[in-house]
Amino acid sequence: MYQQNASAPSGRRETVRRTKRNRIYCLGLCALLILMLFMPVFSWIRAVNTEELYGVMNLKASVVKKLTADHSVLTFLSFVETSKQGVLGFWAFLLLIVSAAAIVFCLLTFAVYLRGSGRQAEKGMLRTFSVFQKGMCFSFLAAAGTVGLILYANAHYGMTGFLPGFAPCAVLALSAAGYAVSKRLEKEERILYREHGFLRELRKNWVLFLFLVPCFVFFLINNYLPMTGIYFAFTQFNFRDHLFASPFVGFKNFEFLVRSEILHLTQNTILYNIVFIVVGNVLQIFFAILISHVTNRYLRKTSQTMIFMPYFVSYVILRVLVFNMFEYEVGLVNSFVTSLGMERIDFYNTPHYWPWLITFFYLWKNIGYGMVVYLATITGISTEFYEAAQIDGANIYQQIRYITIPLLKPTFIILLLYALGGIMKGQFELFYQLIGNNGMLFNATDIFDTYVYRITTTQPLSMGLGTAAGLFQSLFGFVLIMVTNMCIKFKNPEYALF
Amino acid sequence: MNKIKDRSTIPFHIVKAVLLTLLSILCVLPFVVIISGSLTDNLTILRDGFSILPRNLTAEAYRTIFRSPAGIIQAYKMNFYYTFMGTALGLLVITLTAYVISRKDFKYRNHVSFLIYFTTIFGGGMIPWYMMYTNVLNLRGTTLAIWFPALMSPFLVILMRTFITGSVPDAVVESAKIDGAGHWTIFWKIVLPVLGPGLATVGLFQALGYWNDWYRSSMFSTSSETWSLQFYLYDMVNSTLAMRQMAQNVNINTAELPTQTVKLAMAVVATGPVLLFYPFVQRYFVEGITIGAVKG
Repeated sequence: MYQQNASAPSGRRETVRRTKRNRIYCLGLCALLILMLFMPVFSWIRAVNTEELYGVMNLKASVVKKLTADHSVLTFLSFVETSKQGVLGFWAFLLLIVSAAAIVFCLLTFAVYLRGSGRQAEKGMLRTFSVFQKGMCFSFLAAAGTVGLILYANAHYGMTGFLPGFAPCAVLALSAAGYAVSKRLEKEERILYREHGFLRELRKNWVLFLFLVPCFVFFLINNYLPMTGIYFAFTQFNFRDHLFASPFVGFKNFEFLVRSEILHLTQNTILYNIVFIVVGNVLQIFFAILISHVTNRYLRKTSQTMIFMPYFVSYVILRVLVFNMFEYEVGLVNSFVTSLGMERIDFYNTPHYWPWLITFFYLWKNIGYGMVVYLATITGISTEFYEAAQIDGANIYQQIRYITIPLLKPTFIILLLYALGGIMKGQFELFYQLIGNNGMLFNATDIFDTYVYRITTTQPLSMGLGTAAGLFQSLFGFVLIMVTNMCIKFKNPEYALF
Repeated sequence: MNKIKDRSTIPFHIVKAVLLTLLSILCVLPFVVIISGSLTDNLTILRDGFSILPRNLTAEAYRTIFRSPAGIIQAYKMNFYYTFMGTALGLLVITLTAYVISRKDFKYRNHVSFLIYFTTIFGGGMIPWYMMYTNVLNLRGTTLAIWFPALMSPFLVILMRTFITGSVPDAVVESAKIDGAGHWTIFWKIVLPVLGPGLATVGLFQALGYWNDWYRSSMFSTSSETWSLQFYLYDMVNSTLAMRQMAQNVNINTAELPTQTVKLAMAVVATGPVLLFYPFVQRYFVEGITIGAVKG
């Protein structure tokens, strides 16, 4: 009797598990199908009414031939490029990003599932479901966006030349079904693991969500929405068309950059930053050690206050200052030089002085900042170490060499890694205020930030070029950070940035 | 034994004293040059160049500035306005966000932290950012465009979170929750009252950034009405430069206008408040930098 009772539920549990597995395989199949539909062989946009295309869009026969070929989601942009219709470009660009996200999340679903089932993930299938749902959402958006694009294009030209292909309709249906099924499955899983979903969290902690609203608004406006503007990097800006309607030119801006500016901009940006980081940190550590050995409290405070002071003035003041010192006729240096009976030095027309000057003034402004960090670490070192070393007969150099410097190493590494992450970000204010628009000095002093700023403020026609330069800087920096972080994680996960 | 050790450290102490004195002087000297220049007679400067100590002491430059003070008063007013708005609102928004991502019972705190952190490792670049404010939101020429873009920064949010987790123990919040306090009450009645040093530090960083800003004025201003003080100074430096060059071209005696010293006097007037407050608030910056660098 007892045995029967015990075996019946276990048998049922086995069936439940099997049906559940089958359903999950269904979801996998769904993701696989959607991934397939994103392949270039399936047509997303079809041009049907060729005569209308001739007439309304005023195109040549060869171009129409290209247009009437089937377009998959991955060839949207070439479609926009051949049709020379900038209006559609921004839309197509967004669709491409959404499709990329859909593809990534669909692929991730498999990765997460395989890893989870292999290692018995902590919360069962919940992570797989959440990734899968994201994939479905993005797929749905991509398909709906394509249909929207077609409707918009037809309305824009007042015709019926474009039709959605088979693929977007299939993706719409598949993703909606997949999403619904996974929601149902997720619910069961949630009860099992006592996890609650977004809505429950929203109801429970609505005050916290309210607190976050300003933060979201700010970062959306200031950071996330502008990210879509990298589309400008692929357009040729002109005043006649709207900002988002300037003709799409593909990688022309990048080609131009690679041929002309990119090498010396990258070189300048990185080299200056390396010098700043290396020399800066060495001097900061050096002076932090020196100042930590000042025993008179009053003297110590005073010198720290004085060294930290330049950090607090604006770069405009620095500009006034540098101008005062290095101006040709009345500058401090030149009045000193002439009083010695030598020739005046023409700083503002001689590029090779400026790398030194810029480095010097960077250090002048930032030594105090880093010194404070290192000093805090030094004061955190227990005095017992030094007392023990003194008893053992270590002199002051040996104490510094074998106690202070090794204990500063973690701080140094953290600061170094942070700095390496920002190696593609130039010290814009420093360079711009010292050099300004002095074309004589650009070769030695132009960095990405000043180059883009100059384009923004003085050459609106080169907007596309400027955006391309900014995008290159951003992407290159991003890749550098990712690679650095991966290496650190591999070698010493304690120091990983994220 | 002791004596030998003492003698061996003498060179170290001498080198230390000399180098630190040199660096300290080097850091302060430029300020002295600016102040003494602003007090020197303009003709002397044109004839002999700048010097470290003032010669032919005169307050002519300051008198020139304050003869028609409308521009500088407007710039000062705008600077106070930007600094106040940016610091007050920014502080509120940063603290709210930091509180949320410091709460361990908030399911999405890591997601939110990541969204904030991500902005530091990837961005659209300057031009899309500029287009967002000028072409999409049409904020060009408004004061909003000048204070809004710097309202929050990832660094300050993380710094504030560190302050909150450091000064409000979890147990306190837990017991308040058991007593029936909601997040609203916890934030205003428990977290904010003990957050004094954190608010001071983050607020001062924020205020310093706003006070020294010239960049957003240069990008978003359409008239000198909305210029910040630093950009007013920047424009003045440039236009006196242009004026002097122009005057030289047509052979006018430029010495009649004390252009050189006026620039320096303006620099003194623009930095004055920062350097006056600096010694008193320095420790907050030191605290913030230490916490931010070591734990952030």
